Amino acid sequence: MTAPEPVERTPGPAWARRRAAARRAWGEFTRHRAGVLGLGVLVLVIALAALAPLITDADGVDVTRATGGRLEPPGGRYWLGTDESGRSVLLLVLWGARISLLVGLSATLLSIAIGTVVGILTGHFGGWGSALLMRLTDFFLVLPSLVLAIALSTVIGPGVGTIVLAIGVTSWPSAARLVRAQTLGVEARPYIERSRALGGGHLHVIGKHVLPGVLPLVLVNTTLAVGTAIVAESTLAFLGLGDPVAISWGSMLRSASNSGAVTAGAWWYLVPPGLAIAVVVLAFTLCGRAMESVLNPRLRER
Amino acid sequence: MTLLQLRDLHVRYPGEHAVAGVDLALAAGETLGLAGESGCGKSTLAMSVLRLLPPTAEVDGEILFDGEDVSTMSWGRLRAVRWAGASVVFQGAMHALNPVHRIGEQIAEPIRVHSPKTPPARVRERVAELLAQVELPADRAGAYPHQLSGGQKQRVMIAMALACDPKLVIADEPTTALDVVVQAQVLDVLTRLVTDHGIGLLLISHDLAVLGATCGRLAVMRRGRVVEEGPAHRVITAPTHPYTRTLAAAFPTIGDPASRYNPATAGEPPVAGTEAVGEELLTIRDLRVTFGATAAVAGVDLSVRAGEIVALVGQSGSGKTTLARTVLGLRKPDSGQVLFDGKPVPTSTKGLKAHRKQVQLVLQDPTSALNPRHTVHEAVAEGLRIHGVRGDEADLVRAALTDAELRPAEKYLGSLPHELSGGQRQRVVIAGALALSLRLLVADEPVASLDASVRGEVLALLLRLRARLGLATLVITHDLGLAWNIADRVAVMHRGVIVEHGPVEDVLLRPHHDYTRSLLAAVPRPDAGRTAEPRADQGV
Repeated sequence: MTAPEPVERTPGPAWARRRAAARRAWGEFTRHRAGVLGLGVLVLVIALAALAPLITDADGVDVTRATGGRLEPPGGRYWLGTDESGRSVLLLVLWGARISLLVGLSATLLSIAIGTVVGILTGHFGGWGSALLMRLTDFFLVLPSLVLAIALSTVIGPGVGTIVLAIGVTSWPSAARLVRAQTLGVEARPYIERSRALGGGHLHVIGKHVLPGVLPLVLVNTTLAVGTAIVAESTLAFLGLGDPVAISWGSMLRSASNSGAVTAGAWWYLVPPGLAIAVVVLAFTLCGRAMESVLNPRLRER
Repeated sequence: MTLLQLRDLHVRYPGEHAVAGVDLALAAGETLGLAGESGCGKSTLAMSVLRLLPPTAEVDGEILFDGEDVSTMSWGRLRAVRWAGASVVFQGAMHALNPVHRIGEQIAEPIRVHSPKTPPARVRERVAELLAQVELPADRAGAYPHQLSGGQKQRVMIAMALACDPKLVIADEPTTALDVVVQAQVLDVLTRLVTDHGIGLLLISHDLAVLGATCGRLAVMRRGRVVEEGPAHRVITAPTHPYTRTLAAAFPTIGDPASRYNPATAGEPPVAGTEAVGEELLTIRDLRVTFGATAAVAGVDLSVRAGEIVALVGQSGSGKTTLARTVLGLRKPDSGQVLFDGKPVPTSTKGLKAHRKQVQLVLQDPTSALNPRHTVHEAVAEGLRIHGVRGDEADLVRAALTDAELRPAEKYLGSLPHELSGGQRQRVVIAGALALSLRLLVADEPVASLDASVRGEVLALLLRLRARLGLATLVITHDLGLAWNIADRVAVMHRGVIVEHGPVEDVLLRPHHDYTRSLLAAVPRPDAGRTAEPRADQGV
């Protein structure tokens, strides 16, 4: 059989239109000062985290090669002081960003992916299968996430993967419900019926009409969910469910509380990771809110 | 005495001059019809009377209500005038009622707002009185909106408008989305109330026939200006402005041989093309479709021959849309057969896909039938991509657009639906169907949501497609004039069964069934003053 002519032959106008739409969206985004600020902070934090091995020496976070004294206050040599093993807190915060961001992003991707698939499937197909899936969603929705995470880590052992899994598995139901509602809205439009009448199957309807319709919502939801995931990571690492060797903001807070930094009045060990969590979560939220108002014009005037 | 007087009224939105210098007057007990197409500023004009416009609107000129200028009224005075002085019957009764409140409470709401001291018993009495005025039984007060039919909801809206004995009622498209029979009933109620209570009525509609049947005077609006004004009968029968003439010609008089196979169009009149009719293409035998306990289609026999245009007419809820969905295989029949080209409509996914290459659907509202994110090119190419049609996609899309009379096709390829007019959008939908190897078009109210002047163009297109491509069409409609305009045969559907069918001239001019007669009687006669006897003897 000869291959049919490639059908996507004229991307010209469509791509020009998409570029123009992206430009418009960017113009709208830049009108939100808080959103731009959040984006700036994020770019800076991600760049620092990515470049940490290049701009700093990995030896600095090795306990065996620590050079400073125990819980030294901030000074000329260690700008943010040292921890209980004599490592620079500044260096730890910088390296901790890597794990915190990685876990935050991958856990969000996992939960949004599950949520989007479940949401679209239940919204599109209906019937008893989707009813079953929705009850499953409800089950996960009422599951206490912390308890599930602790149970998970006792089964598969503590580590970064466990935290990602625990957050992903417990936070997808809200995304699924949101996507399902939006899918039902799109499915009710007559253009879906026209598409069916043209002979389009499930894959076509989902891929061409439903997914592009729910994608903006998914995007905004992702941005907002990253912040929550980072907080969740810190909580779980603080509770000791993370890799004990890996440095994350949550695990720093844990060692600070375990090593008696609080009673010793070593505020410099507690405040930097805590502040870092707050700033990054805030940045993601600001970005998400700005994106939301770009993609949902009805929110613009409010 | 003049109740409402507009003097040199201008309404400007950012970037748009919606109403550009309108002078109108309405006396108590008088009915004024305001006609015009979508976007001509007629709704803006109506809302400006009660200052219900959005804050971005800039209003100039004088709006005198009972001698008082509305634009300089204090907020408190305006509140008192709203509803107690003048009230509005909003467009779209389906959405203007609150679904969680009983209709009795909703009718009582303005009474409670305007005279809070009214004793509850008196309010109840008044609600019953109002319901009686719009010919609804008093016990309906306890019903929720979803328990009422479209016509009943519209009557509730009228009852609400009358709650505080206003001097002026503004009705904005009160009968759009209602079928002919219900429309006639609602118009009856409105006219009777005006004469009984001496209320001034400003009736807004795009349908000249509706206005002609109800109003004493008519004003025709176009692009924010009144182009013609005068006694309704004179405006409709002897219009002086060319635009009024187009509007008046858009809806045919059933029985007028001049409009048979000749919908009003600005271009070349289409040919009848009856010689294109060939073999039987679609056969429906004893079809039954049920939703739970109700039978939407209860034993229908119907056939469409190749190149034939068959109109399926009936009120909303008669099952005609369900029948159309079944023909496309979008709904499975409970019993009976749908044969296409001698073979039953397939039920397998693959078979249905092949079936839908030859049978296509055109929906009522082209605005929602097109994905707002897809360009014209993508919308037309959708079917081609689904079926993996070989050949140059750009050429095929251009050919389909040209067939659907969107010329030059290049101009429209990159447009998004919201940049097109309603008629152009409907052509895009038709082009999407034509791009496939189409043999039967199922059109569900193809012109019901289009402006009067576009209506004829789209109908003429269907006739031309039949003459040129031998395309068979099953048109589903409640508009008998449409059947008279283009159909060869007509089938009248009532409560799931076809009560009468045959050639258009026979059924529409010499109806046998009572239901067909009642449908015909409900068609508004624009020239109500004159008796329009069907001129059957002249033949067609």
